[in-house]
Amino acid sequence: MSNDDSLDPIRLWREWFVKSEKAWSDTLTEMMGDENFSRGMGRYMHEALHTHRMFSESMAQYLANLNIPSRGDILDMSDRLAHIEETLNHIQVELRSQRAQLTKLAAGTPEAGPRKRPARTRTAEPNPS
Amino acid sequence: MEAPSARNESPAGDVDSRIGRIIERAIARNIPGLAPLPQTESELDVGPTPKELVYSDETARLYHYEPVLDEIYRVPLLLVMSPVAKGYILDLARGQSLVEYLLLQGHDVYMLDWAAPRREQSRLGLAEYVIDLVGGCIDAVARDCGEDDITLVGYCMGGMLSAMYTALNPAGAVKNLVCFTTPANGDGMELYKKWMTSPAFDIDRLVDELGNIPGDFINQSLQALRPLQRSANQMRLLNNVQDDAFVKAHLRFDRWAVDQLPVPGMLARDLVRDFIIGNKIVDNTLELRGQRVDLARITVPFLHVAAQHDHIVPAAASRDLIGLVGSKEKQEIVMKGGHVSLVAGGNAVFRLWPQLDQWIRVRAT
Repeated sequence: MSNDDSLDPIRLWREWFVKSEKAWSDTLTEMMGDENFSRGMGRYMHEALHTHRMFSESMAQYLANLNIPSRGDILDMSDRLAHIEETLNHIQVELRSQRAQLTKLAAGTPEAGPRKRPARTRTAEPNPS
Repeated sequence: MEAPSARNESPAGDVDSRIGRIIERAIARNIPGLAPLPQTESELDVGPTPKELVYSDETARLYHYEPVLDEIYRVPLLLVMSPVAKGYILDLARGQSLVEYLLLQGHDVYMLDWAAPRREQSRLGLAEYVIDLVGGCIDAVARDCGEDDITLVGYCMGGMLSAMYTALNPAGAVKNLVCFTTPANGDGMELYKKWMTSPAFDIDRLVDELGNIPGDFINQSLQALRPLQRSANQMRLLNNVQDDAFVKAHLRFDRWAVDQLPVPGMLARDLVRDFIIGNKIVDNTLELRGQRVDLARITVPFLHVAAQHDHIVPAAASRDLIGLVGSKEKQEIVMKGGHVSLVAGGNAVFRLWPQLDQWIRVRAT
């Protein structure tokens, strides 16, 4: 770092912000723990949920009229994709299991797993560090 | 960077040229920050350690990491992530990965990571997470590796789920239990307790309306615990914008910090009612499917690691855990650092990881 850095006002401001952030954050968090703030936040949440519902319903109707997918349609599609992904996961797990069985049969050994696994014989020697 | 060519000899000119130099330098140093930065998981190359999906049920995804040594410890190790966070924080990048470190020490590592719940999965509550999903994964590890014993290592709420499972199955497969920064006392989550016990807060209304609690909602709730921290981190990024390694590490952490998973509605209900408001873990009144979750029934060796400057799970929320667990062989380590820097990042490599390995290895044979 060159000496000139100490003259960079933007950098100085940023360093001050970083150093004093914890104190400011603590103050803000304390304010948010206030009874009135908690009550206000609860009320705001209720209003936001109500507005969200009203807006979603009216927008869904509007989008349906325009033949454009709504958020609900996108969520339906997301659920279907997630369902397909889950099915693929099950197939992947099943294939892994079948591969393990075939490896066992082919090798004629009690080894489990898709490939030769390391021996589970390691002992707890003292850590050199 | 050179000063402007036209220099004025007068004092006013000196000031002008000095200001000019400062502005030019500030711009020059910040330009790299304006360049396109890696943003996606693949661009940031998080989770680089090779792994295979072993088991999948509902939102649970069980991965097995490919061993790197020819000889490993007998007892496999299952990392249990928090249902609100993605598992790649424990496998952030090469050289900054707890998973990679444990593999290199000779452990057989599995991870229970969570997928975002679908809408119909909002029915999944604490009982399903502990009994069906954690339990299902423990059974799957036994089937996969052929060992009946297991070491459970839970991070944050993953530690809570692991401790609950072990308490419900004291004679089960869990041979050792490790919890990182795990909350046990709902009263210690001071801000959330104040919000959620306010008469205006209604978890049922929230869940009925939203189904699953969105990840952004979780993210904002976490940020409220230290509202300016993210801005301060951006300032740190700007101050170090010419250091490529710093920038990439910062972006990985930042990406993870805002990459919260949605929480199934029923799980949110259970956590708010039973943990935050009811404080049933400490009161020893929590029941899952009619079985009481009594942490005193845990008798296996137990390690709890807490972070000194943890603002997400503060000491008031986690310090009771060690007293509640019934094990004779138990230990608590309080380390420097925060909720995330405890398990990932430069300091974790020297502080936590060697101690964790040391504790597990003598119990993994």
